[in-house]
Amino acid sequence: MSLRRWLVVAALLVVAFVLSRYGQAAGETTTRNLFTYPYSVDDLPNGLRLVTVPTDYPNMVALYVVVRAGSRDEVEPGKSGYAHLFEHLMFRGSENYTPEQRDAIMKRAGADTNASTNQDRTTYYVVFSKEDLDEVFKAEADRFQRLKYAEPAYKTESLAVLGEYNKNSSAPTEKLDEVLYETAFKQHTYAHTTMGYLQDVQDMPNQYGYSLEFYNRFYRPEYATVLVVGDVTRDRALELTKKYFGEWKQGGYEPKIPAEPPQTGSRDAHVDWPSPTLPWLAVAFKGPAYSDETKDKPALDLLREIAFGENSDIYRRLVLEQQKVDDLGVDFGNHPDPELFTVYARIKDVKDVNEVREQVLATFARFTKETVEQTKLDATRSRMRYSFALRMNSSPAIAAALAPYVLLRRTPDTINRVFAVYQEVTPQDIRAMAAKYFTGNNRTIVTLATKAGTK
Amino acid sequence: MSASRVASALVLAAVVQTPALSQSASVLQHGTSPLIVFRILFMTGAAFDPPGKEGLASLTAAMISEAGSRSKTYQQIVDEMYPLATSVNWQVDKEMTVFTGTTHVENLDKFYALMKDMLLDPGFRQEDFTRVRDEAMNFLKVSLRESNDEELGKEYLYNVIYAGHPYGHHDRGTVTSLEKLTVDDVRAFYLQHYTRANLVLGLAGNYPNGFAEKVEADLAKLPAGATDKKRFQPPSLPAGARIAIVTRDTRSTAISLGLPIDVTRASPDWPALEVATSYLGQHRSSNGYLYGWLREARGLNYGDYAYTEYFPRGMYQFTPDPNLARQQQIFQIWIRPVEVNTGVFTLRAALYEYDKFVREGLSREQFEATRQFLTKYSNILTQTQSARLGYALDSRYYGIGDYNAYLRDALAKLTVEDVNRAIRQHLATDRMQIVIVTKDPKPFQDAVATNTPSPIVYNSPKPKAIMDEDAVIQTYRINVKPADLTVVPVEKVFD
Repeated sequence: MSLRRWLVVAALLVVAFVLSRYGQAAGETTTRNLFTYPYSVDDLPNGLRLVTVPTDYPNMVALYVVVRAGSRDEVEPGKSGYAHLFEHLMFRGSENYTPEQRDAIMKRAGADTNASTNQDRTTYYVVFSKEDLDEVFKAEADRFQRLKYAEPAYKTESLAVLGEYNKNSSAPTEKLDEVLYETAFKQHTYAHTTMGYLQDVQDMPNQYGYSLEFYNRFYRPEYATVLVVGDVTRDRALELTKKYFGEWKQGGYEPKIPAEPPQTGSRDAHVDWPSPTLPWLAVAFKGPAYSDETKDKPALDLLREIAFGENSDIYRRLVLEQQKVDDLGVDFGNHPDPELFTVYARIKDVKDVNEVREQVLATFARFTKETVEQTKLDATRSRMRYSFALRMNSSPAIAAALAPYVLLRRTPDTINRVFAVYQEVTPQDIRAMAAKYFTGNNRTIVTLATKAGTK
Repeated sequence: MSASRVASALVLAAVVQTPALSQSASVLQHGTSPLIVFRILFMTGAAFDPPGKEGLASLTAAMISEAGSRSKTYQQIVDEMYPLATSVNWQVDKEMTVFTGTTHVENLDKFYALMKDMLLDPGFRQEDFTRVRDEAMNFLKVSLRESNDEELGKEYLYNVIYAGHPYGHHDRGTVTSLEKLTVDDVRAFYLQHYTRANLVLGLAGNYPNGFAEKVEADLAKLPAGATDKKRFQPPSLPAGARIAIVTRDTRSTAISLGLPIDVTRASPDWPALEVATSYLGQHRSSNGYLYGWLREARGLNYGDYAYTEYFPRGMYQFTPDPNLARQQQIFQIWIRPVEVNTGVFTLRAALYEYDKFVREGLSREQFEATRQFLTKYSNILTQTQSARLGYALDSRYYGIGDYNAYLRDALAKLTVEDVNRAIRQHLATDRMQIVIVTKDPKPFQDAVATNTPSPIVYNSPKPKAIMDEDAVIQTYRINVKPADLTVVPVEKVFD
């Protein structure tokens, strides 16, 4: 649960809990979707997809480019962290814009521009006034097609990535996460974090050639979706996309991401932390990949909140009554490949770690046998619906909510499809999925505590 | 400055001395959104913590927002809010305490009934108190001291600058004071400070007719009370720059620098300092001067930024939270963690670039670009309904009218000369306060004692301009007397 991961996860979870007034009773011809904004999807001949969502928030436009390149795509040993490195390099200049020229354009536009990387995607954004649409589109398109950075600038930027590693490294949860993922995954690239291993980050300055290769592989139209949300029309967005992204050439690379073989036994690991901290516990099970068709992931999304959310029995017991834990959270994002359903707990006293672990395990076991109450299931669906609605409070917020889905299925429609599946999930489905995934063989437990002898 | 600007400056200064705090004050932004936003503000905060009871204002707010009311346990409140996907959140700063919540209009009655009960009839149960106080202590002892060197350094800088001042402790208190606080302390703080005199209601969205009046009538049940209108003086710093090094076992070195400024959003020079600060180090932007020279040109770290206002949690968010308004602010530079072996070089580089910035100011072109940026960027800051409401409450405190209009108009009138004069007037200092979080204080002690050079080796060739500048930076004098460099083990910080 690195901060980066945690933030990304927080975003994903809100969107994961998507439900709305969809209700297609027999004989009804209308459905009410969760994602209610009209949108359009346009494909360019080069494979690039444009999704346009006009909103009634005046003046502002959010331009997002979602690239299907994350730490999942880092298949070579010793090359962890390159998707994230690329998030940095994309600000290092292109054929027609030096970094200073791009900065000047963004500054004149009063733009908010940044990017983020997770396991599955790199997301670039600019939020700006609509009067600057043409100029921002043009500058943005250039770097996706014609990135250009010299080796000295590359080496310097790799140090900024090390700086990012450094600023993250004071948090014990960064290390907890690194160990959790390398313990749970032995073949699949989810074994390493998006930040990457320290030794790989430290080796980045020597890998200029590899960086160019990485760009050639993934910065291609078939890997990208342009998402335009705000005070804009479909025609205008399409015109600019054709004009500035139309010449982008397809590539031919497809990463061979190794499938993770079935786990054959429970795994454990412990991290000795060199400075004082409260102990952490992470209990993880391999969960299903994202789907808007089958019930596996949606059923466990619902259970996530019912079993471990703020009004769950275990939260009440551990946080409110016994007060043994001061932070209890769950990470269960939407991913193209099976990832982890992880419960994290920060425990107030090291002597309680074993008991908390037993309570967490007992909760997982309980829902493999018991069905959840129908009223709780309905309340959870309501919670998901309102979570999503409350999030739609600006054009960039809408774009940010859509970006993960655009990565997974390249259309906002998947939100409504998965929402429809949520509506069909029954208490029996939830029990069946819990029994299917929360097995001893599928489990990884990691603890972290201050190393003995630390002051 | 023209005569009319001087006159308006005096008016603004008068306003900030006695923020308008009429009874039943409200900022209502009725609109078309189905999302209803509450910002219920009390003009009180950590600066009103009684001596020895630091952290009481925060604990009181937490006991309202994260604990039960008299009629419902916290668990019951959480259960009822669960299907609504909402909660009541709190934020306490020196002079402001705000309770926020957003609900879909379909759930307005249910949500408001809970929020009203929490605010007007809190339960103050011992079991809630134990949990909430533990959480506050663990925040200071673990989350801040041991998990986030950047926020640790930034917050400790405020402690250093405001030592002996009502702003001199972290908003969450100290470990020692928290240990001694009781539920009775919370009850007493609530009765004294949660009053109509201190209240401002903020409400936005498409709430029904009569709803705002109903909320006002409900909140009128609070005791009348007296306004917490204490005037806070600027901190008095002894002559000379100082360094405080916080030692802990960490792999990098975090640096924060700052000095008090006699400028707030209400001051005539605030727009000029905003331009200067945005130019020097716009938050999380690659456009800032420091970012360009320290990160982009030299690769020293992940980023370098500058501020005229308190901006906590800056590593997690791109825009600041509203309702952190204060009578006193500091100018701050945030140098994100660097490798241990470049710590002294980076501090020297930051001081060198800062001195150059104060000496040279902005060119006309830099001024124009930054002015244009800020004119449009205020739309980013106030994009959401909640932010607009928050900014309006802050504008009320500072007496500046609509934030965007105020800033746009002020920027339109500004000249580069105004900005450069403001820089020299407010930012030239011989009293820079520096906080460093590192495992090894010795290189800093050596640099201060004997001006030991701190040469830097890069992993790639650098332009001559950088190499020339580095030759100066590596022996650039850190004007701190050895006696003014102190070393504090992390466990003593916020103790």
